[in-house]
Amino acid sequence: MSVTHHPAEELLVAYAGGAADEGISLVIATHLALCPACRRMVASAEAAGGALLSGMAPAPLGNTALKNVLSRLDEQAKPFEPAPSARAAIFPEPLRSYLGGDLERVKWISVTKGISVKPVFRYGTTRVQLIRSMPGAGVGVHSHSGEELTLVLEGGFTDVTGHYLRGDLQTADPSLTHRPMADEGGPCISLAVTGARLRFAHPLVGLLAKFYGF
Amino acid sequence: MPDQVIRRDAGAVKPAMMAYAQTAPVDWPVPSPSRRVRRIRHLRLVLMDAAQLNELLLSVARAGDRRAFEALFAHFAPRIKAYLMRLGAGAAQAEDLAQEAMLLVWRKARLFDPAKASAATWVFTVARNLRIDALRRERRPEFDSNDPAFTPDDEPAADAQLVRADEDAKLRDALRRLSPDQAAVIEKSFFAEKSHSEIAAELGLPLGTVKSRLRLAMAHIRAALGTAS
Repeated sequence: MSVTHHPAEELLVAYAGGAADEGISLVIATHLALCPACRRMVASAEAAGGALLSGMAPAPLGNTALKNVLSRLDEQAKPFEPAPSARAAIFPEPLRSYLGGDLERVKWISVTKGISVKPVFRYGTTRVQLIRSMPGAGVGVHSHSGEELTLVLEGGFTDVTGHYLRGDLQTADPSLTHRPMADEGGPCISLAVTGARLRFAHPLVGLLAKFYGF
Repeated sequence: MPDQVIRRDAGAVKPAMMAYAQTAPVDWPVPSPSRRVRRIRHLRLVLMDAAQLNELLLSVARAGDRRAFEALFAHFAPRIKAYLMRLGAGAAQAEDLAQEAMLLVWRKARLFDPAKASAATWVFTVARNLRIDALRRERRPEFDSNDPAFTPDDEPAADAQLVRADEDAKLRDALRRLSPDQAAVIEKSFFAEKSHSEIAAELGLPLGTVKSRLRLAMAHIRAALGTAS
């Protein structure tokens, strides 16, 4: 099944150009593993990067630079790490390496009825985490104080903006107030990066979120 | 046949090179890389075209050819240094990192796939990743096309190696033809490491305008690559 919800093109350009931070890059790269169409967009943007590099006015290096590098060509480089082998992985690379394994290795932290999380990493106010919602469970009506990307990896969810399945990516921004609801039939597992804490519309849910820290 | 090709390149007439890039066989014969590369090396003061850079990189990948590497160094190291300085690195740091980047080019050359990218594009990704790693101290997450969970592309690769080899010239031309508005947004996207809302604030434009200019610019770029869809 092909992916129907894609990241905005400017996010793909930010990833290709190297401006996107690690959290956003992890979500984008994991989406790219599942989406040939976006990979082609990124390849075009990287080609533009190559052309910009070619067009740069050269900044000459010192006289010894080439000699320095030539003298190091025989240094034994670290061998490339072999990708962890997996037969039928749920989590594509690069996510699987960040987690140190596939779905069965994840230790979930229960947050509220039907919802568990697994922090992947965090820095500053940004956090990247896996979210597992059991069928019919929802996060509650909420809006966002910053941009939030959610990539579905298993199952699906529905909100006012549409239906999201494996590989689909939702971009939420402060203009979106939604109540995502996991599909019936199995848990919905997604990878989310948030730049700021969720602002919950319902004070009780907000309190819960504050308590559980998601 | 290869000698004939080199002689045409030696003429350094841009249209002739483009003609070569368009008519070259997809699988370039590399029977005696060192001799051919030595001849290319003599031309390095002439602006090297994408097909030559590809050949040099392939010689490094297949034969560990140091002469080819020296020619690549002469071309790319000063451009990588300029790129890093443009993104805020000091001259000394950019000099060190440009050398590091070229060392990575040597070590990773066998990962270069001329059917997927031109040499310049591939070197750009190496320099970009090194910068993220060394200056931002972040990892660069990337997909792995050998991963069992990877979704392969069903569409046949329309762009063969010879198209890739020619893409830099076409792209530079496309970039030159962007409107100043679009060029500014593309430039800032690659060289300012700023979010699009920061770019919008800097240019005194609404965010939506910045995004639409970026999309228009990318549409021109894809059209130049023949990947508009």
